[in-house]
Amino acid sequence: MERKPTSAEPPRWATRLLASWSHPDTREELQGDMLEMYAYWLESLGKPAADRKYALAVFRLMRPFARPKRSNDYSETYSFSAAMIQNYFKIAFRNLLKSKTFSAVNILGLALGMACSLMIMLWIRDERAVDAFHANNGQLYRIYMREYFSGKVQGVIWTPGLLAEELKKSIPEIEMSTPYSWTNPQTFSVGSKIHKQATNWASADFFKMFSYKLLQGTPEGALRDKSNIVISRNMAEAFFGSAEAAMGKAIRFDNRKEMTVSAVFENIGTNSSLQFDCLMTWDAYTDDNSWAKDWGSTDPLTFFKLRRDADPAKVATKMRHLLDKTNRDAGKPYKTQLAMQPFHEYYLNSNIKDAKMDGGRIEYVRLFSFVAVFILLIACINFMNLATARSSRRAKEVGVRKVVGAMRSMLAGQFMGEALLIATLSAILAVLLVALLLPAFNSLTGKQMALPLSEPMFWGIIAGLLAATGLLAGSYPALFLSSLNPVRILKGALKFDSGSVWVRQGLVVFQFGLSVILIVGMIIIYRQVGFVQNKNLGFDRENLVYFPIEGELFNKYDILKAQLTQVAGVKEVSHMTATPASNGNGTEGITWPGSDPNDKVRFTPVGVGYNFTKTMNLQMADGRDFSKDFPTDSSGVIVNETAVKVMGLKDPVGREINWGKSKIRIVGVLKDFHYQSLHTAIRPLIAYLAAREPQGSVIVRIQAGKTPETLAAIERICKKLNPNVPFTYAFTDQEYARQYQSEQIVGKLAGYFAFLAIFISCLGLFGLAAFTAEQRTKEIGVRKVLGASVAGIVGLLSKDFLKLVMMAIVLASPVAWYIMKQWLQGFAYQIDIEWWMFALAGVIAVLIAVFTISFQSVKAAMVNPVRSLRSE
Amino acid sequence: MRRTFLGELEEVVLLTVAVLGEEAYAVTVAQELDQKAGRAVGFSTVHTTLQRLEEKGFLSSEMGGATAERGGRRKRFFRVTAFGRKALREAKEAREALWNAMSPDTLQLMTR
Repeated sequence: MERKPTSAEPPRWATRLLASWSHPDTREELQGDMLEMYAYWLESLGKPAADRKYALAVFRLMRPFARPKRSNDYSETYSFSAAMIQNYFKIAFRNLLKSKTFSAVNILGLALGMACSLMIMLWIRDERAVDAFHANNGQLYRIYMREYFSGKVQGVIWTPGLLAEELKKSIPEIEMSTPYSWTNPQTFSVGSKIHKQATNWASADFFKMFSYKLLQGTPEGALRDKSNIVISRNMAEAFFGSAEAAMGKAIRFDNRKEMTVSAVFENIGTNSSLQFDCLMTWDAYTDDNSWAKDWGSTDPLTFFKLRRDADPAKVATKMRHLLDKTNRDAGKPYKTQLAMQPFHEYYLNSNIKDAKMDGGRIEYVRLFSFVAVFILLIACINFMNLATARSSRRAKEVGVRKVVGAMRSMLAGQFMGEALLIATLSAILAVLLVALLLPAFNSLTGKQMALPLSEPMFWGIIAGLLAATGLLAGSYPALFLSSLNPVRILKGALKFDSGSVWVRQGLVVFQFGLSVILIVGMIIIYRQVGFVQNKNLGFDRENLVYFPIEGELFNKYDILKAQLTQVAGVKEVSHMTATPASNGNGTEGITWPGSDPNDKVRFTPVGVGYNFTKTMNLQMADGRDFSKDFPTDSSGVIVNETAVKVMGLKDPVGREINWGKSKIRIVGVLKDFHYQSLHTAIRPLIAYLAAREPQGSVIVRIQAGKTPETLAAIERICKKLNPNVPFTYAFTDQEYARQYQSEQIVGKLAGYFAFLAIFISCLGLFGLAAFTAEQRTKEIGVRKVLGASVAGIVGLLSKDFLKLVMMAIVLASPVAWYIMKQWLQGFAYQIDIEWWMFALAGVIAVLIAVFTISFQSVKAAMVNPVRSLRSE
Repeated sequence: MRRTFLGELEEVVLLTVAVLGEEAYAVTVAQELDQKAGRAVGFSTVHTTLQRLEEKGFLSSEMGGATAERGGRRKRFFRVTAFGRKALREAKEAREALWNAMSPDTLQLMTR
């Protein structure tokens, strides 16, 4: 339609207003009439008047609320009519069924990706839920200490036992507080029933602060008296048969104290970071451990509850210098300040870095969040890739739809809808998969997660996941296909420009890059965990059994040792404070000639018995072991090489050093050995002779291959000597391995996820290869006719994809290197990242890719050319 | 309740449509009124009146006659229906009856 070239047009805004707000029934003629009237007014009245009249008329003619009454001659294209929706579904299902392989690849890939992210989300949700169940959650805090010395600062989570009471006294905002010791197994008995239970001590405020459910008794009365004990339902059932029967009954603690059950609490679930079977009062604890009344000691954790209206920042400032008045730091080279951390944050942020609580499990939560997103992304990319690759098949449909009046938005909606439909099918499959795999996942991670089917939150997440996946996966096909020009499609001149090929290839590279990162991660985690577990620790951790010295064993150690050495399978017996697998003790009281009074060196003390080095199979670097032939050994110590290095002694044996105020003499030097997990570097060790008062654990070296009968004999002897305490023992190698549990789990999970990522990527590659082979059927036919070999054609088809995979490897390797370097920082002893790890990951990726592609390419290459060429 | 009588403006517009015959649509009606009747009737008023007359059944309409100066949009041509003609006639007769009932003196005064 041509427009008269006129300079005078009515005000555009008014025209637009008219076009959108006039009565729909008369809109067409009205717009025409107004144009004519404008021309008339222009001629008779001039432009300003015409403009004015035009605008005025427009305003008068606006009918913003009018609905059309007249029936139209032509029905408007309306994409939400029932027939159209029906058609969309019909076409979608036909397309799904037409190419079953593609649909299966699509749905399965998406479902795996979703199941994987769903599982990770459940895990993250579970991690975040720990300690979140307390009603006072927002007001609960824990205290940690910052020790400043010679310009450095060090964080300590253990606090003086007196701190809890002092906090309430000196800071009015603090309503309640409690100490909470280290949970350890203690022996309890009722009549002939003897059990070990995880025991802890706390103040009377404990059950008022924390929301542990009491089955019997009240939070106020639970820990009021020194003789009170609060026990779990399990413990009540074990001793008394039921929670009701336990109330008010007596229970014997450590075969020396009668306690009265004052309350019974429901067993503590895995969603609590505090775990205990029974609690006694802190006063009872200090009765047994008088040193805990001293400000200088660091023993329990301290928790407190703020008043609801209190300002945490103000409280933090108030408490910072609280310890100054206690003389705690008198005569010591450091200053101690207090700091606080919200209670529920501790579980995920338990590492102390530069005296701040930061890091810990949260890093795994973050890591797996990334993995979840990555895997979902890979699955979405698959979908996008396949849909785009197959768009040539849908192009005709798009052309026809456009010609009969489909608008771009409708087509985009259609493809988006199809993506959502497939995503829905995948989501259903994913939920089923998760339900199926959850038990295995639980046993792997040591959790008790269930699908929270009754929670609207869960369905919200599923819906969100579905929408996100559908929209992301459907976005590219929707935008790309709907942009095609119908004339060109229907003429058959449709050629995908290099842009779309480029995008598709980029997606494949991205996908494989992620997979390579995961493979490299898996290799390195496996290597590191293996390294840690097989590293020579400096002592022989195989066949080394230990059990705690408790009950009557304190006094009967010599008899025990005499009897144990009689047992055929026992090679050596000794004892030590702490355990062979882990010793986290520390002392700062060691000084030596030339030591810097302002520098605090933390030594690890260990009290050992005779024969300690032999039992542990330790090597002496210099000097000798403790021996009964030297009575002066009671003031002698053995140090390790690190200690010698720290002290800077040239000729250590025979030197005198100070421990606190007493003088001690070095009699021997041990070669360094790892008495803690490899997360920490070897620290200076100082071993003193504790043969007079054995404490900690008895360590027994047993003969290989005779474990069961030897253990049975040891148990018999212990039962006889110590009838009131159940015999519990541990193998050093197992306990040692347990310290790397989380690494092992992460390693396994990384393995599974890497496998999944590769699998999903391969599904995508498989689909793409099938598509390419199909597109090049004719070409392959011609080549074969002209004499190409099957191998040549397979090579031809695989080459393009291999190039992409290669590129992915090259791009991903530095990223993987960086990420894994960060992870390895968590270990004091790390493996080196070597080039072959990347090479191996690359080879794995290439092999899997080749294997996937060859399925299709061999099939395509084997086809008889007559069949592919005859229809031309 | 449907009003079946004609308002004064309605009558004038209806008459104009009848005068214009085949060429009656909103623009011509408005211009005719502007030029011949000398009345300042706004275009929007004409448009609304035409719609109302059609609703009442005095007019029928038909689309057609797109031209370039209208931006290719069709016109809505109006035509007086039989009911409309009857209403016009009745209005005219009612008026004539009133004129006829006037005394000669008054009539003379009026026509001077």
